[in-house]
Amino acid sequence: MKKLLKPALYLSILSVLVLSAVAAKVGDAAPDFTATDSNGQQHHLASYKGKYVVLEWHNQGCPYTKKHYESGNMQRLQQEWTAKGVVWFTVISSAPGAQGYVTASQENDYLKKIHASPTAVLLDPEGTLGHMYAAKTTPHMYIIDPQGTLIYNGAIDDHPTSDASDIASSKNYVSTALQEALSGKPVTQAATRPYGCSVKYKD
Amino acid sequence: MHIPQRARVLVLLLIFSCASVAQRLSAKHAQLELISQQSTSVPGGQLWLGVHFILEKGWHIYWVNPGDSGQPPVFQWQLPPGFVAGEVQWPRPEKMQHSQMADYGYHDETLLLLPVQTPKQAPKNQRINIGAEAKWLICREVCIPDHAHLQLSVPVAENGSDDPKVAPLFAGTKQLLPKPLPSAWRARAESRGTKVVLTLTTGKSIASAEFFPLEENQIESGAAQEVSAKPAGVQITLQKSDQLLHPISRLKGVLVLAGKAYAVEAPVTEQ
Repeated sequence: MKKLLKPALYLSILSVLVLSAVAAKVGDAAPDFTATDSNGQQHHLASYKGKYVVLEWHNQGCPYTKKHYESGNMQRLQQEWTAKGVVWFTVISSAPGAQGYVTASQENDYLKKIHASPTAVLLDPEGTLGHMYAAKTTPHMYIIDPQGTLIYNGAIDDHPTSDASDIASSKNYVSTALQEALSGKPVTQAATRPYGCSVKYKD
Repeated sequence: MHIPQRARVLVLLLIFSCASVAQRLSAKHAQLELISQQSTSVPGGQLWLGVHFILEKGWHIYWVNPGDSGQPPVFQWQLPPGFVAGEVQWPRPEKMQHSQMADYGYHDETLLLLPVQTPKQAPKNQRINIGAEAKWLICREVCIPDHAHLQLSVPVAENGSDDPKVAPLFAGTKQLLPKPLPSAWRARAESRGTKVVLTLTTGKSIASAEFFPLEENQIESGAAQEVSAKPAGVQITLQKSDQLLHPISRLKGVLVLAGKAYAVEAPVTEQ
Protein backbone atom coordinates (compact mmCIF):
# COMPACT_ATOMS: atom_id res chain seq x y z
CA MET A 1 0.00 0.00 0.00
CA LYS A 2 2.78 2.36 1.02
CA LYS A 3 4.61 1.56 -2.21
CA LEU A 4 1.53 2.35 -4.21
CA LEU A 5 0.77 5.53 -2.34
CA LYS A 6 4.14 7.12 -2.85
CA PRO A 7 4.10 7.35 -6.65
CA ALA A 8 0.47 8.41 -6.52
CA LEU A 9 1.37 11.17 -4.08
CA TYR A 10 4.28 12.34 -6.24
CA LEU A 11 2.03 12.27 -9.26
CA SER A 12 -0.56 14.44 -7.57
CA ILE A 13 2.10 16.88 -6.36
CA LEU A 14 3.49 16.98 -9.87
CA SER A 15 0.10 17.62 -11.40
CA VAL A 16 -0.50 20.47 -8.97
CA LEU A 17 2.85 21.98 -9.99
CA VAL A 18 2.10 21.58 -13.67
CA LEU A 19 -1.39 22.99 -13.31
CA SER A 20 -0.22 25.88 -11.19
CA ALA A 21 2.24 26.94 -13.89
CA VAL A 22 -0.65 27.89 -16.16
CA ALA A 23 -3.29 28.74 -13.61
CA ALA A 24 -3.26 32.53 -13.85
CA LYS A 25 -5.34 33.00 -16.96
CA VAL A 26 -7.30 36.15 -17.61
CA GLY A 27 -11.00 35.44 -17.23
CA ASP A 28 -10.45 32.62 -14.73
CA ALA A 29 -10.67 32.80 -10.96
CA ALA A 30 -7.38 34.16 -9.61
CA PRO A 31 -5.55 31.47 -7.62
CA ASP A 32 -6.28 31.95 -3.93
CA PHE A 33 -3.39 32.36 -1.53
CA THR A 34 -2.42 33.20 2.01
CA ALA A 35 0.88 35.04 2.38
CA THR A 36 2.79 36.90 5.07
CA ASP A 37 3.79 40.54 4.65
CA SER A 38 6.89 42.41 5.82
CA ASN A 39 5.09 43.33 9.08
CA GLY A 40 4.24 39.72 9.86
CA GLN A 41 0.58 40.14 8.90
CA GLN A 42 -1.19 37.36 6.99
CA HIS A 43 -3.19 38.20 3.88
CA HIS A 44 -5.77 35.86 2.42
CA LEU A 45 -6.78 36.82 -1.11
CA ALA A 46 -10.38 35.60 -0.64
CA SER A 47 -10.87 38.07 2.20
CA TYR A 48 -10.33 40.94 -0.27
CA LYS A 49 -13.42 40.03 -2.31
CA GLY A 50 -15.28 43.21 -3.16
CA LYS A 51 -12.05 45.08 -3.92
CA TYR A 52 -9.70 45.30 -6.85
CA VAL A 53 -6.32 43.75 -6.04
CA VAL A 54 -3.07 44.51 -7.88
CA LEU A 55 -0.09 42.13 -7.64
CA GLU A 56 3.31 43.61 -8.51
CA TRP A 57 6.33 41.27 -8.71
CA HIS A 58 9.37 43.04 -7.35
CA ASN A 59 13.18 42.79 -7.14
CA GLN A 60 14.82 45.98 -5.91
CA GLY A 61 18.13 45.16 -7.66
CA CYS A 62 16.64 44.57 -11.11
CA PRO A 63 17.25 47.42 -13.60
CA TYR A 64 13.66 47.17 -14.88
CA THR A 65 12.27 47.49 -11.35
CA LYS A 66 14.67 50.39 -10.72
CA LYS A 67 13.35 52.09 -13.85
CA HIS A 68 9.93 52.34 -12.24
CA TYR A 69 11.07 53.10 -8.66
CA GLU A 70 13.97 55.52 -9.22
CA SER A 71 11.68 57.54 -11.49
CA GLY A 72 8.90 57.44 -8.87
CA ASN A 73 6.52 55.88 -11.41
CA MET A 74 5.60 52.84 -9.32
CA GLN A 75 5.14 54.89 -6.14
CA ARG A 76 2.79 57.25 -8.02
CA LEU A 77 0.73 54.29 -9.25
CA GLN A 78 0.57 52.83 -5.73
CA GLN A 79 -0.58 56.15 -4.27
CA GLU A 80 -3.10 56.86 -6.98
CA TRP A 81 -4.78 53.45 -6.94
CA THR A 82 -4.70 52.70 -3.20
CA ALA A 83 -6.32 56.15 -2.69
CA LYS A 84 -9.14 54.87 -4.92
CA GLY A 85 -9.61 51.79 -2.76
CA VAL A 86 -7.49 49.35 -4.76
CA VAL A 87 -5.45 46.85 -2.73
CA TRP A 88 -1.83 46.81 -3.93
CA PHE A 89 0.40 43.87 -3.02
CA THR A 90 4.07 44.03 -3.93
CA VAL A 91 5.37 40.45 -4.05
CA ILE A 92 9.00 39.40 -3.60
CA SER A 93 9.75 35.85 -4.80
CA SER A 94 13.57 36.10 -4.80
CA ALA A 95 15.12 33.11 -3.04
CA PRO A 96 17.50 33.66 -0.10
CA GLY A 97 20.91 34.53 -1.56
CA ALA A 98 19.42 35.63 -4.89
CA GLN A 99 19.12 39.19 -6.13
CA GLY A 100 16.19 41.03 -4.59
CA TYR A 101 15.87 38.79 -1.53
CA VAL A 102 15.22 40.86 1.59
CA THR A 103 14.35 40.20 5.19
CA ALA A 104 11.18 41.80 6.52
CA SER A 105 13.05 44.63 8.26
CA GLN A 106 15.27 45.29 5.23
CA GLU A 107 12.12 45.60 3.12
CA ASN A 108 10.49 47.99 5.58
CA ASP A 109 13.62 50.20 5.58
CA TYR A 110 13.63 50.14 1.78
CA LEU A 111 9.95 51.13 1.57
CA LYS A 112 10.65 54.17 3.77
CA LYS A 113 13.74 55.12 1.83
CA ILE A 114 12.02 55.07 -1.57
CA HIS A 115 8.64 56.34 -0.30
CA ALA A 116 6.73 53.36 -1.62
CA SER A 117 3.25 52.79 -0.30
CA PRO A 118 1.78 49.48 -1.41
CA THR A 119 -0.96 48.06 0.82
CA ALA A 120 1.58 45.41 1.85
CA VAL A 121 4.70 43.63 0.63
CA LEU A 122 4.21 39.87 0.52
CA LEU A 123 7.40 37.90 1.19
CA ASP A 124 7.53 34.76 -0.94
CA PRO A 125 11.10 33.38 -0.65
CA GLU A 126 9.90 29.84 -1.45
CA GLY A 127 8.32 31.09 -4.67
CA THR A 128 4.95 29.51 -3.86
CA LEU A 129 2.90 32.55 -4.81
CA GLY A 130 5.16 33.26 -7.79
CA HIS A 131 4.70 29.79 -9.25
CA MET A 132 0.98 29.85 -8.50
CA TYR A 133 0.65 32.91 -10.76
CA ALA A 134 3.52 31.87 -13.09
CA ALA A 135 5.12 35.26 -12.46
CA LYS A 136 7.99 35.57 -14.90
CA THR A 137 9.57 38.96 -14.63
CA THR A 138 10.13 41.89 -12.33
CA PRO A 139 7.94 43.76 -12.73
CA HIS A 140 5.07 41.43 -13.70
CA MET A 141 1.62 42.83 -12.97
CA TYR A 142 -1.76 41.21 -12.30
CA ILE A 143 -5.17 42.69 -11.54
CA ILE A 144 -7.96 40.78 -9.79
CA ASP A 145 -11.48 42.18 -9.85
CA PRO A 146 -13.90 42.36 -6.86
CA GLN A 147 -15.38 38.95 -7.83
CA GLY A 148 -11.94 37.35 -7.65
CA THR A 149 -11.48 37.03 -11.43
CA LEU A 150 -8.12 37.76 -13.01
CA ILE A 151 -8.65 40.69 -15.39
CA TYR A 152 -5.06 41.61 -16.27
CA ASN A 153 -1.82 39.64 -16.60
CA GLY A 154 1.29 41.20 -18.09
CA ALA A 155 3.65 44.13 -18.39
CA ILE A 156 3.46 47.40 -16.55
CA ASP A 157 3.59 49.38 -19.81
CA ASP A 158 4.30 49.17 -23.52
CA HIS A 159 8.04 50.09 -23.47
CA PRO A 160 10.01 46.93 -22.65
CA THR A 161 13.24 48.73 -21.73
CA SER A 162 15.16 49.59 -18.57
CA ASP A 163 15.35 53.25 -19.58
CA ALA A 164 13.36 55.59 -17.29
CA SER A 165 13.20 58.25 -20.01
CA ASP A 166 10.77 55.95 -21.88
CA ILE A 167 8.12 56.20 -19.13
CA ALA A 168 6.73 59.58 -20.23
CA SER A 169 5.82 58.25 -23.67
CA SER A 170 4.59 54.86 -22.42
CA LYS A 171 1.05 53.59 -22.17
CA ASN A 172 0.62 52.20 -18.67
CA TYR A 173 -1.36 48.97 -19.02
CA VAL A 174 -2.19 48.72 -15.30
CA SER A 175 -3.68 52.20 -15.06
CA THR A 176 -5.54 51.75 -18.32
CA ALA A 177 -7.00 48.42 -17.19
CA LEU A 178 -8.00 49.79 -13.78
CA GLN A 179 -9.59 52.89 -15.32
CA GLU A 180 -11.60 50.75 -17.70
CA ALA A 181 -12.62 48.24 -15.04
CA LEU A 182 -13.57 50.90 -12.49
CA SER A 183 -15.81 52.60 -15.03
CA GLY A 184 -17.54 49.32 -15.82
CA LYS A 185 -15.88 48.69 -19.16
CA PRO A 186 -14.14 45.52 -20.27
CA VAL A 187 -10.34 45.65 -20.20
CA THR A 188 -9.20 46.13 -23.78
CA GLN A 189 -5.64 44.85 -23.31
CA ALA A 190 -6.04 42.16 -20.69
CA ALA A 191 -2.86 40.20 -21.37
CA THR A 192 0.49 41.47 -22.57
CA ARG A 193 4.03 40.13 -22.53
CA PRO A 194 5.59 41.02 -19.18
CA TYR A 195 9.11 42.41 -19.45
CA GLY A 196 12.04 42.65 -17.09
CA CYS A 197 14.51 40.46 -15.22
CA SER A 198 13.52 36.88 -14.59
CA VAL A 199 12.06 36.26 -11.13
CA LYS A 200 14.96 34.90 -9.07
CA TYR A 201 13.24 31.73 -7.89
CA LYS A 202 14.74 29.09 -5.67
CA ASP A 203 16.15 26.30 -7.91
CA MET B 1 51.68 68.27 -31.03
CA HIS B 2 51.98 65.05 -29.16
CA ILE B 3 50.31 62.05 -30.79
CA PRO B 4 50.43 58.82 -28.79
CA GLN B 5 52.15 55.92 -30.51
CA ARG B 6 48.96 53.87 -30.82
CA ALA B 7 47.04 56.70 -32.40
CA ARG B 8 49.89 57.26 -34.86
CA VAL B 9 49.75 53.61 -35.87
CA LEU B 10 46.00 53.89 -36.31
CA VAL B 11 46.34 57.00 -38.46
CA LEU B 12 48.91 55.26 -40.63
CA LEU B 13 46.64 52.26 -40.91
CA LEU B 14 43.73 54.42 -41.93
CA ILE B 15 45.73 56.17 -44.58
CA PHE B 16 47.62 53.28 -46.12
CA SER B 17 45.75 50.11 -45.34
CA CYS B 18 43.31 48.69 -47.81
CA ALA B 19 41.67 46.56 -45.13
CA SER B 20 38.72 47.42 -42.95
CA VAL B 21 39.49 48.83 -39.52
CA ALA B 22 37.35 47.85 -36.60
CA GLN B 23 37.65 48.64 -32.92
CA ARG B 24 37.09 46.12 -30.19
CA LEU B 25 35.40 47.65 -27.15
CA SER B 26 35.34 46.45 -23.58
CA ALA B 27 31.90 46.53 -22.03
CA LYS B 28 30.39 45.08 -18.86
CA HIS B 29 31.29 41.35 -18.87
CA ALA B 30 31.66 41.44 -22.65
CA GLN B 31 33.76 42.67 -25.51
CA LEU B 32 32.22 43.71 -28.78
CA GLU B 33 33.27 44.76 -32.18
CA LEU B 34 31.62 45.83 -35.44
CA ILE B 35 33.30 43.87 -38.22
CA SER B 36 32.95 43.37 -41.96
CA GLN B 37 33.17 40.06 -43.81
CA GLN B 38 34.67 41.77 -46.85
CA SER B 39 37.84 43.81 -46.69
CA THR B 40 36.44 46.30 -49.20
CA SER B 41 33.03 47.67 -50.08
CA VAL B 42 32.33 47.18 -53.78
CA PRO B 43 29.96 49.66 -55.49
CA GLY B 44 26.68 47.89 -56.25
CA GLY B 45 27.69 44.93 -54.10
CA GLN B 46 26.60 43.57 -50.78
CA LEU B 47 28.57 44.01 -47.60
CA TRP B 48 28.05 41.71 -44.64
CA LEU B 49 28.56 43.40 -41.31
CA GLY B 50 28.45 41.72 -37.94
CA VAL B 51 28.38 42.77 -34.32
CA HIS B 52 30.61 40.29 -32.57
CA PHE B 53 29.79 39.78 -28.90
CA ILE B 54 32.39 37.92 -26.84
CA LEU B 55 30.87 37.25 -23.43
CA GLU B 56 32.48 36.38 -20.14
CA LYS B 57 31.82 32.85 -19.00
CA GLY B 58 28.32 32.37 -17.63
CA TRP B 59 26.90 35.60 -19.07
CA HIS B 60 24.35 35.70 -21.86
CA ILE B 61 22.55 38.09 -24.19
CA TYR B 62 19.16 37.57 -25.86
CA TRP B 63 17.67 36.45 -29.15
CA VAL B 64 15.17 38.61 -31.07
CA ASN B 65 12.41 36.92 -29.03
CA PRO B 66 13.99 36.84 -25.58
CA GLY B 67 11.47 34.34 -24.18
CA ASP B 68 10.10 34.79 -20.67
CA SER B 69 12.42 37.61 -19.59
CA GLY B 70 15.22 39.80 -20.92
CA GLN B 71 15.54 42.08 -23.92
CA PRO B 72 17.17 41.64 -27.33
CA PRO B 73 20.03 43.92 -28.41
CA VAL B 74 18.94 46.89 -30.53
CA PHE B 75 21.07 48.80 -33.02
CA GLN B 76 20.81 52.17 -34.66
CA TRP B 77 22.92 52.06 -37.79
CA GLN B 78 24.78 55.07 -39.10
CA LEU B 79 25.58 54.52 -42.75
CA PRO B 80 26.93 56.87 -45.43
CA PRO B 81 24.34 58.24 -47.91
CA GLY B 82 23.09 55.64 -50.37
CA PHE B 83 24.07 52.62 -48.23
CA VAL B 84 21.02 50.57 -47.29
CA ALA B 85 20.88 48.30 -44.26
CA GLY B 86 18.78 45.15 -44.33
CA GLU B 87 17.35 43.33 -41.32
CA VAL B 88 19.51 41.93 -38.54
CA GLN B 89 20.01 38.20 -39.11
CA TRP B 90 19.89 36.27 -35.83
CA PRO B 91 21.70 32.94 -35.49
CA ARG B 92 19.57 30.26 -33.90
CA PRO B 93 19.53 30.71 -30.13
CA GLU B 94 19.92 28.30 -27.26
CA LYS B 95 17.15 27.71 -24.79
CA MET B 96 18.05 28.65 -21.24
CA GLN B 97 15.66 26.96 -18.85
CA HIS B 98 15.49 28.02 -15.23
CA SER B 99 12.74 27.03 -12.85
CA GLN B 100 9.56 26.88 -14.97
CA MET B 101 10.69 29.60 -17.34
CA ALA B 102 12.90 29.72 -20.37
CA ASP B 103 14.79 32.46 -22.16
CA TYR B 104 16.34 32.38 -25.64
CA GLY B 105 19.80 33.76 -26.22
CA TYR B 106 23.51 33.28 -26.58
CA HIS B 107 26.39 32.36 -24.30
CA ASP B 108 30.15 32.66 -24.95
CA GLU B 109 30.04 34.46 -28.27
CA THR B 110 27.75 35.32 -31.12
CA LEU B 111 27.79 37.33 -34.31
CA LEU B 112 24.63 39.25 -35.20
CA LEU B 113 24.67 39.86 -38.94
CA LEU B 114 23.56 42.81 -41.02
CA PRO B 115 23.52 42.80 -44.84
CA VAL B 116 24.24 46.24 -46.31
CA GLN B 117 23.83 47.26 -49.93
CA THR B 118 26.64 49.46 -51.28
CA PRO B 119 25.34 52.04 -53.78
CA LYS B 120 26.58 51.83 -57.38
CA GLN B 121 27.88 55.39 -57.22
CA ALA B 122 29.92 54.88 -54.02
CA PRO B 123 33.16 56.83 -54.49
CA LYS B 124 36.08 54.49 -55.12
CA ASN B 125 39.42 54.74 -53.34
CA GLN B 126 37.86 56.39 -50.31
CA ARG B 127 37.06 55.00 -46.92
CA ILE B 128 33.55 54.93 -45.58
CA ASN B 129 32.71 55.10 -41.89
CA ILE B 130 29.96 52.97 -40.44
CA GLY B 131 28.66 53.43 -36.92
CA ALA B 132 26.17 51.69 -34.69
CA GLU B 133 24.57 52.74 -31.44
CA ALA B 134 24.12 49.43 -29.66
CA LYS B 135 21.98 48.81 -26.59
CA TRP B 136 21.74 45.41 -24.99
CA LEU B 137 21.04 43.56 -21.81
CA ILE B 138 23.60 41.12 -20.42
CA CYS B 139 22.59 38.70 -17.69
CA ARG B 140 24.00 36.00 -15.48
CA GLU B 141 22.19 35.63 -12.15
CA VAL B 142 21.60 39.38 -12.47
CA CYS B 143 20.97 41.58 -15.48
CA ILE B 144 22.90 44.67 -16.55
CA PRO B 145 21.79 47.02 -19.34
CA ASP B 146 24.68 48.37 -21.40
CA HIS B 147 25.30 50.43 -24.52
CA ALA B 148 28.18 51.37 -26.81
CA HIS B 149 29.02 53.27 -29.95
CA LEU B 150 30.62 50.91 -32.46
CA GLN B 151 32.67 52.05 -35.43
CA LEU B 152 34.11 50.53 -38.53
CA SER B 153 35.93 51.99 -41.50
CA VAL B 154 35.99 50.18 -44.84
CA PRO B 155 37.66 51.21 -48.10
CA VAL B 156 35.53 51.35 -51.25
CA ALA B 157 37.22 49.53 -54.13
CA GLU B 158 36.47 47.99 -57.51
CA ASN B 159 37.28 44.50 -56.33
CA GLY B 160 36.25 42.85 -53.16
CA SER B 161 37.37 39.81 -51.27
CA ASP B 162 36.66 38.31 -47.90
CA ASP B 163 38.83 39.38 -45.01
CA PRO B 164 40.61 36.12 -44.15
CA LYS B 165 40.74 37.06 -40.45
CA VAL B 166 36.98 37.07 -40.03
CA ALA B 167 35.66 35.06 -43.00
CA PRO B 168 35.52 31.76 -41.04
CA LEU B 169 33.53 33.47 -38.27
CA PHE B 170 31.01 34.81 -40.80
CA ALA B 171 30.81 31.45 -42.59
CA GLY B 172 30.25 29.60 -39.32
CA THR B 173 27.58 32.06 -38.20
CA LYS B 174 25.71 31.84 -41.52
CA GLN B 175 25.41 28.10 -40.90
CA LEU B 176 23.41 28.98 -37.78
CA LEU B 177 20.92 31.23 -39.59
CA PRO B 178 17.50 29.69 -40.21
CA LYS B 179 17.12 28.51 -43.81
CA PRO B 180 13.84 28.35 -45.72
CA LEU B 181 12.19 24.92 -45.62
CA PRO B 182 13.14 22.73 -48.62
CA SER B 183 10.37 23.08 -51.21
CA ALA B 184 9.21 19.47 -50.84
CA TRP B 185 8.63 19.86 -47.09
CA ARG B 186 5.30 20.88 -45.60
CA ALA B 187 4.59 22.56 -42.27
CA ARG B 188 1.11 22.85 -40.78
CA ALA B 189 -0.16 23.85 -37.40
CA GLU B 190 -3.37 22.96 -35.62
CA SER B 191 -4.86 24.49 -32.51
CA ARG B 192 -6.08 21.90 -29.97
CA GLY B 193 -7.36 23.52 -26.79
CA THR B 194 -4.39 24.82 -24.83
CA LYS B 195 -1.94 23.29 -27.31
CA VAL B 196 -0.71 23.98 -30.81
CA VAL B 197 0.47 20.98 -32.79
CA LEU B 198 3.08 21.64 -35.45
CA THR B 199 3.47 18.89 -38.03
CA LEU B 200 6.38 18.84 -40.41
CA THR B 201 6.28 16.47 -43.36
CA THR B 202 9.66 15.80 -44.92
CA GLY B 203 9.29 12.28 -46.31
CA LYS B 204 11.58 10.88 -43.62
CA SER B 205 10.96 10.11 -39.97
CA ILE B 206 12.52 12.65 -37.59
CA ALA B 207 13.06 11.80 -33.94
CA SER B 208 14.15 15.07 -32.39
CA ALA B 209 13.22 18.70 -32.96
CA GLU B 210 13.03 21.94 -31.06
CA PHE B 211 10.84 24.93 -31.85
CA PHE B 212 11.73 28.54 -31.03
CA PRO B 213 8.72 30.87 -31.36
CA LEU B 214 9.46 34.18 -33.05
CA GLU B 215 6.32 35.94 -31.90
CA GLU B 216 5.95 36.87 -28.27
CA ASN B 217 2.78 35.85 -26.46
CA GLN B 218 2.05 32.77 -28.59
CA ILE B 219 3.89 29.85 -27.06
CA GLU B 220 4.84 29.25 -23.43
CA SER B 221 8.64 29.27 -23.58
CA GLY B 222 9.21 27.30 -20.40
CA ALA B 223 6.75 24.48 -21.14
CA ALA B 224 8.09 21.14 -22.33
CA GLN B 225 7.73 20.48 -26.07
CA GLU B 226 6.37 17.05 -26.83
CA VAL B 227 8.14 15.67 -29.89
CA SER B 228 6.86 12.54 -31.62
CA ALA B 229 8.44 10.97 -34.66
CA LYS B 230 6.05 10.30 -37.57
CA PRO B 231 6.72 7.95 -40.50
CA ALA B 232 7.16 10.93 -42.84
CA GLY B 233 8.26 13.65 -40.44
CA VAL B 234 7.74 14.91 -36.94
CA GLN B 235 5.01 16.36 -34.75
CA ILE B 236 5.69 18.88 -31.98
CA THR B 237 3.09 19.75 -29.39
CA LEU B 238 3.50 23.25 -27.96
CA GLN B 239 1.80 24.86 -24.97
CA LYS B 240 -0.05 28.10 -25.74
CA SER B 241 1.06 31.16 -23.81
CA ASP B 242 -0.73 32.35 -20.66
CA GLN B 243 -0.74 35.77 -22.26
CA LEU B 244 -2.67 34.56 -25.29
CA LEU B 245 -6.21 35.88 -25.49
CA HIS B 246 -6.98 35.49 -29.18
CA PRO B 247 -6.52 32.49 -31.44
CA ILE B 248 -3.09 32.25 -33.08
CA SER B 249 -3.57 32.75 -36.81
CA ARG B 250 0.01 32.07 -37.89
CA LEU B 251 2.72 30.18 -36.08
CA LYS B 252 6.14 31.70 -36.76
CA GLY B 253 9.42 30.43 -35.49
CA VAL B 254 12.67 28.61 -35.97
CA LEU B 255 12.70 24.84 -36.04
CA VAL B 256 15.98 23.11 -35.23
CA LEU B 257 16.39 19.60 -36.64
CA ALA B 258 19.67 17.73 -36.14
CA GLY B 259 21.51 20.99 -35.54
CA LYS B 260 20.08 22.71 -38.63
CA ALA B 261 17.77 25.69 -38.25
CA TYR B 262 14.76 26.29 -40.51
CA ALA B 263 12.40 29.23 -40.68
CA VAL B 264 8.84 28.00 -40.24
CA GLU B 265 5.65 29.93 -40.83
CA ALA B 266 2.40 28.03 -40.92
CA PRO B 267 -1.26 29.07 -40.74
CA VAL B 268 -2.94 27.66 -37.65
CA THR B 269 -6.17 25.80 -38.22
CA GLU B 270 -8.74 25.28 -35.46
CA GLN B 271 -9.53 21.67 -34.85
